[in-house]
Amino acid sequence: MKLLFERIDEPGLNTLPVYERRGGYEALRKALQMPPEAVLHEFEASGLRGRGGAGFQMGKKVSFLPQGAMDKYLVCNADESEPGTFKDRELMQKSPHMLIEGIVIASYAAGATRSFIYIRGEYVQQADILDAALAQARAAGYVGENILGSGHTLSLVVHRGAGAYICGEETGLLDSLEGKRGNPRLKPPFPANQGLYQGPTLINNVETLSTVPTILRMGGEQYAKLGVETSTGTKLVSVSGHVQRPGNYEIELGIPSREIVYGLAGGPPEGREVKCWFPGGSSSPVLTGEDLDIPYDFDSLAKAGTMLGSGAIIVVDDSTPILDVALKVAKFYRHESCGKCTPCREGTNWTVKMLERIECGEATPMDLELMASVQEHIMGNCLCVLGDAMAMPIGSMIAKFREEFEAHIESRRLEAVHA
Amino acid sequence: MNVPAELRAEIEGHMALYPDPRSAALPALEAAQRLHGWCSPAAIEQVAATMGVTPAYLESVASFYDMLETSPVGRHSIYVCTNISCSLCGADELYEAVREAAGEDAEFNVRAFECLGACDIAPMASVDGVYVGPLSVADVPQLLDDVRAGREVLASKQLVRRPCADAEARS
Amino acid sequence: MPRPQPRTIAFTIDGLEVQAPENAMLVDAAKHGDVEIPVFCYEPKLGQPVGACRMCLVEIEGIPKLQTGCSTPVKDGMVVHTQSARVREAQNAVVEFLLINHPLDCPVCDKGGECPLQDISFGWGKGSSRFVEPKRHFVKPLELSPTIAIDRERCILCYRCVRFSQEVSEDYQLVLQERGAHSYVATFDGRPYEAPFSGNIVELCPVGALTSRAYRFRARPWDVEGAGSVCTLCPAQCNVTFTVRDERVLRVLARDHAEVDDGWLCDAGRFAYQPPPAREGVSPTEGVTATQEGTSPTQEGVTPIHERVTAPSARITQPLVRDGGELRPATWERALQEAAAGLRRAGSRSAALVGGRSTSEEGLLLARLLREGLRSERIDTLAGVAPAAQRRLAHPELQARVSDLEFAHTVLVLGAEPARDIPILDLRIRKGVRRNGVKLAIAGPEVSSLHARAQLNVRYAPGGDGAFARALAAALHGEDLTAAAHAAGAEAEHVRALANLLSTGAELRSGGASVSAPQDIVILYGEGVLADGGAEAVARIAAGLKLAAAPGAGLLGVPAAGTNGRGLAEAGVTPGYGPGYVPRESEQPAAGVHEIGELLCDGEISALYLLHADPLRSQLARERWRQALARATTVIAHAEHLSEGLREHATVVFPAESNAEKEGTIVHPDGRLQRLRAAIGRPGSVRAEWQVLCDLAARLGLDLGVLSGPMASQQLYDAVPFYAGVTLEEIGGRGLRWPEREAAAAYA
Repeated sequence: MKLLFERIDEPGLNTLPVYERRGGYEALRKALQMPPEAVLHEFEASGLRGRGGAGFQMGKKVSFLPQGAMDKYLVCNADESEPGTFKDRELMQKSPHMLIEGIVIASYAAGATRSFIYIRGEYVQQADILDAALAQARAAGYVGENILGSGHTLSLVVHRGAGAYICGEETGLLDSLEGKRGNPRLKPPFPANQGLYQGPTLINNVETLSTVPTILRMGGEQYAKLGVETSTGTKLVSVSGHVQRPGNYEIELGIPSREIVYGLAGGPPEGREVKCWFPGGSSSPVLTGEDLDIPYDFDSLAKAGTMLGSGAIIVVDDSTPILDVALKVAKFYRHESCGKCTPCREGTNWTVKMLERIECGEATPMDLELMASVQEHIMGNCLCVLGDAMAMPIGSMIAKFREEFEAHIESRRLEAVHA
Repeated sequence: MNVPAELRAEIEGHMALYPDPRSAALPALEAAQRLHGWCSPAAIEQVAATMGVTPAYLESVASFYDMLETSPVGRHSIYVCTNISCSLCGADELYEAVREAAGEDAEFNVRAFECLGACDIAPMASVDGVYVGPLSVADVPQLLDDVRAGREVLASKQLVRRPCADAEARS
Repeated sequence: MPRPQPRTIAFTIDGLEVQAPENAMLVDAAKHGDVEIPVFCYEPKLGQPVGACRMCLVEIEGIPKLQTGCSTPVKDGMVVHTQSARVREAQNAVVEFLLINHPLDCPVCDKGGECPLQDISFGWGKGSSRFVEPKRHFVKPLELSPTIAIDRERCILCYRCVRFSQEVSEDYQLVLQERGAHSYVATFDGRPYEAPFSGNIVELCPVGALTSRAYRFRARPWDVEGAGSVCTLCPAQCNVTFTVRDERVLRVLARDHAEVDDGWLCDAGRFAYQPPPAREGVSPTEGVTATQEGTSPTQEGVTPIHERVTAPSARITQPLVRDGGELRPATWERALQEAAAGLRRAGSRSAALVGGRSTSEEGLLLARLLREGLRSERIDTLAGVAPAAQRRLAHPELQARVSDLEFAHTVLVLGAEPARDIPILDLRIRKGVRRNGVKLAIAGPEVSSLHARAQLNVRYAPGGDGAFARALAAALHGEDLTAAAHAAGAEAEHVRALANLLSTGAELRSGGASVSAPQDIVILYGEGVLADGGAEAVARIAAGLKLAAAPGAGLLGVPAAGTNGRGLAEAGVTPGYGPGYVPRESEQPAAGVHEIGELLCDGEISALYLLHADPLRSQLARERWRQALARATTVIAHAEHLSEGLREHATVVFPAESNAEKEGTIVHPDGRLQRLRAAIGRPGSVRAEWQVLCDLAARLGLDLGVLSGPMASQQLYDAVPFYAGVTLEEIGGRGLRWPEREAAAAYA
């Protein structure tokens, strides 16, 4: 079942005529004829959970916005920076109007009159495509004043970031969009009450908003029949690393993970086995090859101690030492820590230094305890989730690959001694 | 402060898009960087004068973001992704190869970059914003030649030309 | 905006039920139960909490994750734990994290002994670190500004200093650069952080990262004592603590007073004292240039503060008497004798000018000496403000408090530049605008540093102050304002716009009622406005806006006479009025500063008494005053330093006490009596001013009845009817606003 990816490679889909020929913006017309509450009801009925990483009910998020006349904002989070994740990129590049349509519908339901797509600065080509599509949509009256005569007005700006993972965190994104350093904010207040420019703000991921036209077209209840009970609908999964056919796949939530890793992506190269895999981007605790039968949905993965996250599966085969994986991951989070809160700033830095010590043979097995303890001290003590995003996978690697770490420590130590 | 008219106009255009003009800081710095090659003190002062904020504010912002350069760099940026998925596919060797090939050529700004969001073409690079991959070390000379010659970079390996991996989506 | 009136709630902390104001942050609420929650980044003076350091994590029942006590408002029935195993582990963890990159160079750190990082590490840390890797390194210490050194290795990135620069002084010069573990505090392009309030960041810094270059390596906390007093450099009268070592002031710190300074201190107040030389065994006369800093190779280009601040001439520590055309050191006996002789000769042809930094007691005693001892009614400050106007506008009913600036609906700054005239109020006005949405209007002849914060800026010509006030009064009363606006050099339209802002703001607040109710508008005016019919106009403006009846509204005048301008006027240092603005009946017509100048030139006055005053330094008509001083036969001065005028014209100079040596009373522009207290002993043979005045009076046959500083104060409180019953104890360390006391009814 392809909803988002239906004939995604059709030539010219990024232009308005082709998108319209395929029934584009019909969902918007339909929505604008409904009262906003009814549109919101469709969101709620769909059971759609946010596709950005946290998996929060989209309809509920919209309903948190205060009622009444005030400037409300909708921000599309297109700062896709979670390592292993590249689904939004493909959506924006190939079907930008689907996103724009979703934004206009969601803004109507939320009562937002200004909207922004915060796209990561590295996605230069995708931002250009979005700008072009936006110009067409504006010219056709799908964006702007009094959209299709409905009285609903929405401005939309494509805002380009400049390279900072933390701007994918919603409050870091808001600060960045306000022209500041992308430091996450203290919550509460939550963006629904005080977000962009202190106004009520709805923030949703590209995939989430791109799904909105489909929900309107199918009806929320129909949509909810796809997938499994608490993880409805289809999901784009980015599969990368040691697989034969890396790429984005649209799956119905709840299928066995093995089907994605082996069935769709072709599994690791000939003769190799899955050593571990990240089910939801590099922030998710790793699973091993034995966990491949876990159904790929929010709750099943949570039960297995990890998370679906952004839907990015990174496969590591048995040719790669776990230390290399841990070091890559830890270095990434150290580089991306904004530095505002202590445990994240110092903890990521310390963790990298400890891993480097293992690498150059200066560590003892006791350092594993220390490293695990540092991860525990980061977990739950930070201002935002970035610290946890390192502590979770590193903690899981220490727990699941302790013997390998110990062997590393021993062999690197011996190497260092002999050298 | 003497701000080049085109830069001023571009920045003011960005400022007009937002309820709070300070939101234009990133696009404004990007524009100044395009003009000056990097966010030099002079570039920052020009943006500050146009936006009515302090240079310190802008320097602080600029230094936060990876794509804004706070020291002089080459004109052509080559970001080689060396994050997890790409490195599993040989990105570290690729990065070394690009660096070595670019050598002392002051035209290039070769950087090992965090995940660029294109793990499906790992290992990959962003060359002045154009994504290319999967790359092998053997692609490096042509990549640099293409940039030097002002040609389309590795036309056959550009991400935008790549079909979706999901076979059913293509049908 | 009305001031918040929180209700009291009960919550449980560490098993103790505690009452606290609702919605107070837990770290503050905890104090009501004597529980300390450690903090680094939390500082309410800096605005909203940021929750960055994570030191204040606490456990709240019903919430799974630990919460930051700095940002969690307390609610009724909340159950909080700050000592549980989970919390302790988190506290230990944060301390350990903070220390991994901290150099732990406490033995050579100026903050050692008064360092929150030390205290919190001791109280909430584990006492050991498991970090064995190399620490982060920076070049250190660097010159952040001529007055402040920065040591980035010690910095724990609490954000306090950058928040001060961004959210309090709003200069936005100090920022974080880079990100993550590479973050550091810096200015644009490494340029010096030069701003009028920059020194506050030294006090805000919870570690030794920001240090005062003047104080570096001069003392340890156990070498020094703190002595509370009040800064007398300007009418803001910020409360300060002098750091004293060996009878020397080594440092000036803010002494937080919400009704005076809000805990801030300007750089002049903080740094304009003379630090002693750094090296032992080198006498000051050798012109020391090397400081401790100069010995370090990383310190190139670092110049100690005391060389950068224009060094005043040497302190006078003994009496000087003109002898053979030159001022020469003399004994007290000789100096007093010369002075008494000069005054006796002049008799009622004597006059006195009193500088704004004089205490009210000094003013009172000198006025008595003149009036009772010499039968002269010629005494004034240097400001030349009409006393009747002062008296009218200083009425208790019209008096605004400093904190009203923060909560007013509208603040009008009229003919004053706060950043220059009364600096700390610049911060207070910014705070009101930023935090409480106070509307700000500015009218003046120059572009204010608050310009960008104001809803309305109106300009008029220099010297047009009084006329502008008349124009505004006319506009508020619906009269023709054309002539006055023209005289002020202001656009009539702008005056109307200002009147409109002031009056419609009022209407909006009264909920659309047709009659505008009394409103909380505060007018901060410079006394230059009172000339040229301005005093009457300001009174009419106040009446038009019904300021008298509204709590939280009123006037705040910035005295032209300087620091204690208000107190001196109230003590009777004003022509034609005795203490408490009681009109004087006298044969001799009273003379103010301008008449005194003229009378001196005409030879009608032959002896001039200058109490902390030099008309050549503060009067515009310099040449005229030069003539005036030249014609005087006797010029007696009290001074700490020899100014040009005194060097040339004084016949007797009494060495004066410095601020830190002095005791006495000064009065804040909002009517707050504040006490100066001696922090250090007087150098050389310097005597207290009251004592000199009494000795001199005695030689003129007048017993002033003062044998001690407190007696002088008591005499002052007894002399001014609306101070009745005030005691030194009642003023205490926090001051006392007389307009709030019952005795204020005695205000004539």
